[in-house]
Amino acid sequence: MTPARGEPEALVGPDAVLRALADPHRRQILRLVQHSELPAGQIAAHFDLTQQAVSQHLTVLKRAGLLAERRDGTRRLYSLRSESLEPLRTLLDEFWPDALARLKQSVERAHPRTERRRRT
Amino acid sequence: MINASVRIAAPPDVVFPYFTDPHLMVTWIGERADLDARPGGTFAIDFGATAARGSYVVVEPPHRLVFTWGVPHDDALLPGSSTVEVELVSDGDDTIVNLSHRDLPPAREPSHREGWDGCLAALVGAARGAR
Repeated sequence: MTPARGEPEALVGPDAVLRALADPHRRQILRLVQHSELPAGQIAAHFDLTQQAVSQHLTVLKRAGLLAERRDGTRRLYSLRSESLEPLRTLLDEFWPDALARLKQSVERAHPRTERRRRT
Repeated sequence: MINASVRIAAPPDVVFPYFTDPHLMVTWIGERADLDARPGGTFAIDFGATAARGSYVVVEPPHRLVFTWGVPHDDALLPGSSTVEVELVSDGDDTIVNLSHRDLPPAREPSHREGWDGCLAALVGAARGAR
């Protein structure tokens, strides 16, 4: 078995991050580790879930690049990689421009103007 | 705060109902809308699994509109906690739509758990809506 490292796997992007964030348990895990590094057992103690379920959540978060994992003896410590949220910030910034572009399309399709009246 | 603008080749009185009429609203945002466009009236849009909930604050056809925006069951971005302001400015035969969304929780370095969770909820909601 290869040793776990702090680096996330290569497949990271807004989709993976959003899927990871779509679950309330996983959001709570991120809250727990946003300021302090915690071992898996201590994270699991906050939930009414099996160790296995918590471990699966940790794996999803790790794969999305949201969690850094570090070995300390036999323990694995987890912490938030806040830089992984930057693509989402961009996505949020694009939400309204995208929505307004659809608004424009919708209005102009329903109320077409003739070619010669179009402004430049 | 997020700002966005667009020029639309139609006058404000044509564009305005796209922010107040549920049937017109869903042609550009969300999948289902429940709107009661008067001050204090319901503003509700569903995007897949998430939702935006708030109420209208200012309804001044056809130039100005303010509504609140939040996500149910999220500690920080609770319904009503952030505000969207829309200005429809006439420019010749066109309308310039200026939109600003303020009081959103900061996306980076959240200082407390509520801000953090609301931020995530907003991101997830926004991303779903953008699809």
